[in-house]
Amino acid sequence: MAATRRLQKELGDIKNSGLRSFRDIQVDETNILTWQGLIVPDSPPYNKGAFKIEINFPAEYPFKPPKINFKTKIYHPNIDEKGQVCLPIISAENWKPATKTDQVIQALVALVNDPEPEHPLRADLAEEYLKDKKKFTKNAEEYTKKHSEKRPSD
Amino acid sequence: MFRFIASFFTKLIQMMLQVLSSKKHIIHNLLSIYVKTSGGQTVCLDIDPKCDVSHIKKLVAPQINLQPDELKIIFAGKELADDYVIEECDLGQQSILHVVKIKSPKLNEVFRCSTPKANLSPLTESLDYSTFSSEDENTEKPLERKAHFYVYCPNCKGLKQGKLRVRCHFCKSGAFTVHSDPQDWSHVLQPKQITGTCENDPEYCQELLQNCEPTFAEFYFKCSEHVSLGECDQAVPLDLIRPNLRHIPCLACLDVPETMFTFPCQKDHIACLDCFRSYCLSKLLERQFWQHPEHGYTLACPNGCLNSFIREIHHFRLLDDDNYDRYQRFATEEFVLRSGGLLCPQPGCGMGILAEPDCTRITCQQCKYVFCRNCLQGFHIGPCDPVEPSLDAQGNCDVDLNCPVVEDPSRTTIKVITKPCPSCKTPTERDGGCMHMICTRSGCQFHWCWVCQTEWTRECMADHWFA
Repeated sequence: MAATRRLQKELGDIKNSGLRSFRDIQVDETNILTWQGLIVPDSPPYNKGAFKIEINFPAEYPFKPPKINFKTKIYHPNIDEKGQVCLPIISAENWKPATKTDQVIQALVALVNDPEPEHPLRADLAEEYLKDKKKFTKNAEEYTKKHSEKRPSD
Repeated sequence: MFRFIASFFTKLIQMMLQVLSSKKHIIHNLLSIYVKTSGGQTVCLDIDPKCDVSHIKKLVAPQINLQPDELKIIFAGKELADDYVIEECDLGQQSILHVVKIKSPKLNEVFRCSTPKANLSPLTESLDYSTFSSEDENTEKPLERKAHFYVYCPNCKGLKQGKLRVRCHFCKSGAFTVHSDPQDWSHVLQPKQITGTCENDPEYCQELLQNCEPTFAEFYFKCSEHVSLGECDQAVPLDLIRPNLRHIPCLACLDVPETMFTFPCQKDHIACLDCFRSYCLSKLLERQFWQHPEHGYTLACPNGCLNSFIREIHHFRLLDDDNYDRYQRFATEEFVLRSGGLLCPQPGCGMGILAEPDCTRITCQQCKYVFCRNCLQGFHIGPCDPVEPSLDAQGNCDVDLNCPVVEDPSRTTIKVITKPCPSCKTPTERDGGCMHMICTRSGCQFHWCWVCQTEWTRECMADHWFA
C-alpha cells in the first residue's frame, strides 16, 4: 500500500522533472511496481546509443530496494550478459527508504558513463578497460552501434 | 410585515435550539467523579462540568466535616485554583480528585506566594508538544486538540489517546504537587526527575526516605478512551507516536500524516502509522529485528541512523494480533539462541531449551524428542553425518534429512532449495542476484559465497560473482 502511494508520487515527479538521461518511461497501469525506460548516456562510447532498462519494485518498497535490469545488451564492466547490474545504492545493506528513484537512476547513469573496473561483474571487460582503454573503447563503440536502441531525436 | 415574520422565525429557531441544547446538557454532560481524602475516605460526586473548583470544595467540605477554605484540591500534580472550571481539565468519567486539608493558614500563604495562580492548572494541560520540542517555537498551540499523548491501552487492546497523571513516587498517592513542570520526555519516562510535595502524608514519605532525598514525582499514563477503572488502570506511553505539528512527510509514502511515528534518531525521520506497520512487518517476516541487550527485540530507524533503536517495544503493538504473537515468538527464540540455548527441531514443537554447554544428548521437555545438539537430528553415537564434504573441514554438521524420524515433504523441499549459512547453519534460499550471500539472521550477518559455501572472498568475486 505504501509502495503504490509512494511510486505514484515518484513517477509523477520524475515525469515532470524532464530527466534527459532517462526517457520514455512506461508503466503498466495495472502494475506500478514495474517501470521501463530508456537510459541515454552522454559519455563516449555509450553516447552512440540508448539502453532499455526495467526497474522492479518489491511489494515492500520502499523498505526493500528496487532491482534494475538492462534489457538492451551493453559492453560494460559493471553490467553482465544477463543485464544484471550491481549498483551499491540499491544493495540490501546500503538501501535507505528515503532514497528516491531519481537518485537511483542518476547513480545508474553515472555508472554507465564512468565504469568502475575495481568492482566488475565482467572481469574480462574490466581487465581490458584497465590495460587497453583504446581497444575497450573501440569494442564498446562497435557493440553499442550494433545492439543499442535509437537515441531520442530531441 | 416580512421583517416581522423573519424575526418571529429566528426567535422560534433560537428557542428550539435552546431547548435542544439544554436537554443535551442535562442528559450527557453530568460528570461522575470521586474525591479522595488523605484519610482514605472517598466521596462520589455528580457535577456539572461547567462548575468551578470552589463549587466542588463547597460540596465536599460538609461531607468530611471541614470548611471549604480549609481544603485544597489536587489533580495531576497540581493544586487546582478556586476559579478553575472543571471542564477545562481533561477529567473523564469516574476520575479521581484528591482533597487535602491545608496544614496551617500561614504555610498556605507561603505556598500561594511561591506558586503563581497561572500555574494552578493540571499538568495534563500545561504540558503539550510545543513545550516538549524546543525547536518549534513558531508552532501555534492548537486550541481544540488537547490530547498529545498516545498509549497502548491493555484494556481497550490498542493504540489510544492517553493522559498524563502524577503521583508520589514513594507512597503512590495522587495527592501530590510537583515543584516544576516536566520539560521533555526524559523527565516523564525516567524515574526521580522532578521533585514535589506529597500532600497525602508528608511525614510518612519523609520518614521512609529518612530525609536522604527529596520526595519525587512519578508520572504515569491513563487511556482517555475508556471510563477510568480506578487508580491501577494504567496504560503504556508510546512516546514515539506524536502529533505531526511541523508537517513532516512520511519517509516511506511521502504523505504528511496527522499522527506520526518518530524514529529516535537525530534527523527527524518519521513515518505515518501505516508505513510504520509495513516497516515492522517486512522486517519481522525476515527476522530482521535486533535483539538489543537493554531494549529487547527491536528495530532502528529504517535509514540506518546511529543509536536509533526503539526503546519502548510496546510500539510493536501496532502490529495486528497474529503478527504481534509472531513478534513475541521470534523474540523469545532469538533470546534463547543468544543465551546459548537451542530450539527443539521437531516440526510443530520449537521449544526453547537451555542445556549444559558440554551436553550433546538433548531431551525436549515438551515433546520428549531426543536429539543431537550438534546436528539437531535424532540422537546418535559417534560423529554426526556430514552431508557437504566442504563443511567437514570446519567440523560443522549439516542437516541430514535421511534421518528415520522425518519424512516431511517441506523438509525435503528445504533441503533441495537451500544451503546452510556456513556460520550459523540457518537454511538459506537464494532468490536471485549474485553469489555474495549475507546471512539474514540478525545475530549472524555472515558474508559467505553460495558456490564455495565458505566466507566471501575477493577470489569468489573474481571467479564466480554472478555465475
